[in-house]
Amino acid sequence: MSWWDLFGKHVDKADFVKAFLLQNQKPIPAIRSLDQLEFTVFDTETTGLSIKEDYVLSFGGVKIRNAAIQIETAIELYPTSPKSGKKTASIHGLVQRENQIQIRDFANQSLEYFCNSILVAHHIGFDTEMMQKACRPFGLEKLPNPMIDTMTMAIRLELGPHADRSQINPSDFGLDSLCKRYQIPTEDRHTAAGDAFLTAQLFLKFLKIAQGKGITNFGQLTRKGF
Amino acid sequence: MNVIVHRVAEFLKRFPPFSFLSKEVLEKVAGSVEIRYLEKGETLFRQGQAAEAHFYILKEGAIILTESIQNQEEIRDQCDEGDVFGVLALLGKRPYLLTAEVQENSLLYAIPVAIFEEVLEENSRVALYFAAGFASGQVVVRQDLSESQKARGAFKIKSRDHSLLIFSDQSEIKFSEKVLICSPDDTIQKAAALMSEKHVSSIVVCQTDMKPLGIITDKDLRNKVVSKGIPLDTVASKIMSTPILTRRKDAAFSDLYLTMIKHRLHHLVLTEDGTDKSPVCGIISDHDVLLSMGNSPAVLIHGLMNTLDVKEMRLICDQAEQMLRYYLENELNMDFVASVMTEVNDIIIKQALRIAENSLVKEDEVLRKIPFCFLSLGSEGREEQLLRTDQDNALVYEDVPEAIAEDAHAYFLKLGTAMVEVLLACGFAPCPGDIMASNPKWVQPLSEWKSYFSEWIIRPTEEAILSSTIFFDFRPVAGNLGLGETLSLHIYEEIQKKKVFLNFLANNALMNPPPLGFFKDFVVEKSGEHKNEFDIKSRAMMPLADLARLLVLSHGVIGVNNTFKRFDRLVALEPNYEALFKQASKAYEILMRTRALEGLKNQSNGRFIQPENLGKLERQLLKNTFSPISELQNIVKVRFQLDYFPS
Repeated sequence: MSWWDLFGKHVDKADFVKAFLLQNQKPIPAIRSLDQLEFTVFDTETTGLSIKEDYVLSFGGVKIRNAAIQIETAIELYPTSPKSGKKTASIHGLVQRENQIQIRDFANQSLEYFCNSILVAHHIGFDTEMMQKACRPFGLEKLPNPMIDTMTMAIRLELGPHADRSQINPSDFGLDSLCKRYQIPTEDRHTAAGDAFLTAQLFLKFLKIAQGKGITNFGQLTRKGF
Repeated sequence: MNVIVHRVAEFLKRFPPFSFLSKEVLEKVAGSVEIRYLEKGETLFRQGQAAEAHFYILKEGAIILTESIQNQEEIRDQCDEGDVFGVLALLGKRPYLLTAEVQENSLLYAIPVAIFEEVLEENSRVALYFAAGFASGQVVVRQDLSESQKARGAFKIKSRDHSLLIFSDQSEIKFSEKVLICSPDDTIQKAAALMSEKHVSSIVVCQTDMKPLGIITDKDLRNKVVSKGIPLDTVASKIMSTPILTRRKDAAFSDLYLTMIKHRLHHLVLTEDGTDKSPVCGIISDHDVLLSMGNSPAVLIHGLMNTLDVKEMRLICDQAEQMLRYYLENELNMDFVASVMTEVNDIIIKQALRIAENSLVKEDEVLRKIPFCFLSLGSEGREEQLLRTDQDNALVYEDVPEAIAEDAHAYFLKLGTAMVEVLLACGFAPCPGDIMASNPKWVQPLSEWKSYFSEWIIRPTEEAILSSTIFFDFRPVAGNLGLGETLSLHIYEEIQKKKVFLNFLANNALMNPPPLGFFKDFVVEKSGEHKNEFDIKSRAMMPLADLARLLVLSHGVIGVNNTFKRFDRLVALEPNYEALFKQASKAYEILMRTRALEGLKNQSNGRFIQPENLGKLERQLLKNTFSPISELQNIVKVRFQLDYFPS
């Protein structure tokens, strides 16, 4: 039986999932200042773009604490995958890795890494769906962490909270365009860690711009419509 | 190599001194970098501010380094991509000499000094690079020009003469013109007696013509005399530090200051012509420098009272910590040190209250008028918190009519949460047990607090006793202090009614066995993250604090919170145990000092000590502090008849 057969069925929570959920029980006070927040900026590379069909090939992340990217927290994880990933291999240049870990270890290590931090990613919806899918066999229904999408944040910062989404050209807010606009050199694109690092630098700049616009605490940062 | 670490390393290796590093070392350095982003107009660090644990390399943007001279800002240097600055922190852990202002939006890589210190020791090229002052804003004094030229030749760096800046300051510095001296043939005992008579920490050894030969400091007496056990009639010249470094009395402050930093001197001797071939005319100490940099308690407290800007408050806290280090290293009286730090902490709490109240002005006026009191608990409550370790606090407010009970609770929870957030931002760590004024359970009206305490006293379960050890040391700090006092009275009345509670407390005070019987070595943790480390808090400090609390409570003494003051009080109450209580009081002071110094050294809470890193003398000192614990525990055992007590 492969792990994806369990999808949708009730699964008992593994101990590491229980521990993870316990850490996330206490909400972050809305008035906590931006400098005091812990963010995990991450990215995943997958076999494709279908949440149903595809799987995580690699995970890269780095944390922001005290308003600074902490390089010592940089992480790369490569789960074993039931699919070979021929489709995306050509884009991402990913080949079979030697340091692959079992899917259970992957779920354990990534949740331990997330802990109770705020998750940040570009198009975060897709990445969290993929991570949830990977963790579901161990009893995790949904990631409880607060989440911030850097694309949505860019739109809000540039066009205001009430921007008409239908008038926006999505490619203007892709990671490549944004990095260009915010002067972030883009080497290492298309590795999970490389993209996570770019996103982290982008987000660090966004935080500063947000502060200039009067967004100074957690409540304001995650307000509805953001 | 991790992709992200690799990216950082790729950037660093383009610039000296990182270009001199081997691949392995570079990876280690890159892996410890913090990336910060600052906008135009921000200040990275200020002149006189305590050095951070980092120095910087600019990734993109522009930063100017300025010096304030008689209120005039003068530009000392301009940094752009790849420039390294803020390096003085690396050399001496002293305050910044310049201010770094962000001229264009800048991305900075902050490199931890701790990591780089190892590099400095191993790699002489890197050391030479820094010694020569190639890093921007690092000031090089005249005498070092030769070395600087040598380095320039070695690296063939294109001349951009930003490093040889010479101070043109006239900063005021007070130093002592009366210098305590002795002859090289005097005995060390005589030298020490002179120092102790004049209450100074150093003595200059001079020939008859007043030309200095060497210096003896408290440290020399400790390291070269007491710990080595050499006879007290040894002559002073045997233990004095030589050769002696001297400077002219009218030398620029920066020159004096840098000399002390570079040579890590605590004392610098001044002579007529600046060499040791002319008579001594003054001495300048660390303390004088510290004072002239604005690091006196009065200046810090004044600064705190005049700001409601959290960032500013945090900087002052950092400065206070630097002052603390100086106090501890110089063995200042612990009562004084603890009082100063408690005063600083209390003012931060009071300012936090003002900030919190300002943020809640839109709330219902009825709620805002309800009297309340912010309580500090645990070590902060005992006026013993030197480092910004865990905050333990709670909030009590006056009983309110049923109709507004819920609103009042919600309001005070907001107030408490806002205060806790300010404290977090000032660098106080959160309480792992969540005993903070942001937890609904610990924000309660007076009647509820009274029933909490009554419950703990009447039904002393294991959990209740644990709570007692934290909550019984509460101290009202901000707001309506009377509320806290009402609560104290309630507790003492309850204990009078149910004395057997003390037996439970006594039982708990014996839970932590005294760390005796380790004559060969320390008792260290057997497993876990802190394996082979000594837990100074739970093995030595907590037992003493528990015993002191129990004994003063048993005498019905109210209002003495501090552990060593409690022991001092016990001396008066039980004169037959005078020697033991005095010893316990002293032991606690030593433990506090050891823990704080350890914490400052490792940027931690100082709780876990690695015995092998302690000097022989320190180990002996620490070991001696344990003996009163077991003696006191024996007394408690008999007094509370714990042999017959169901535990």
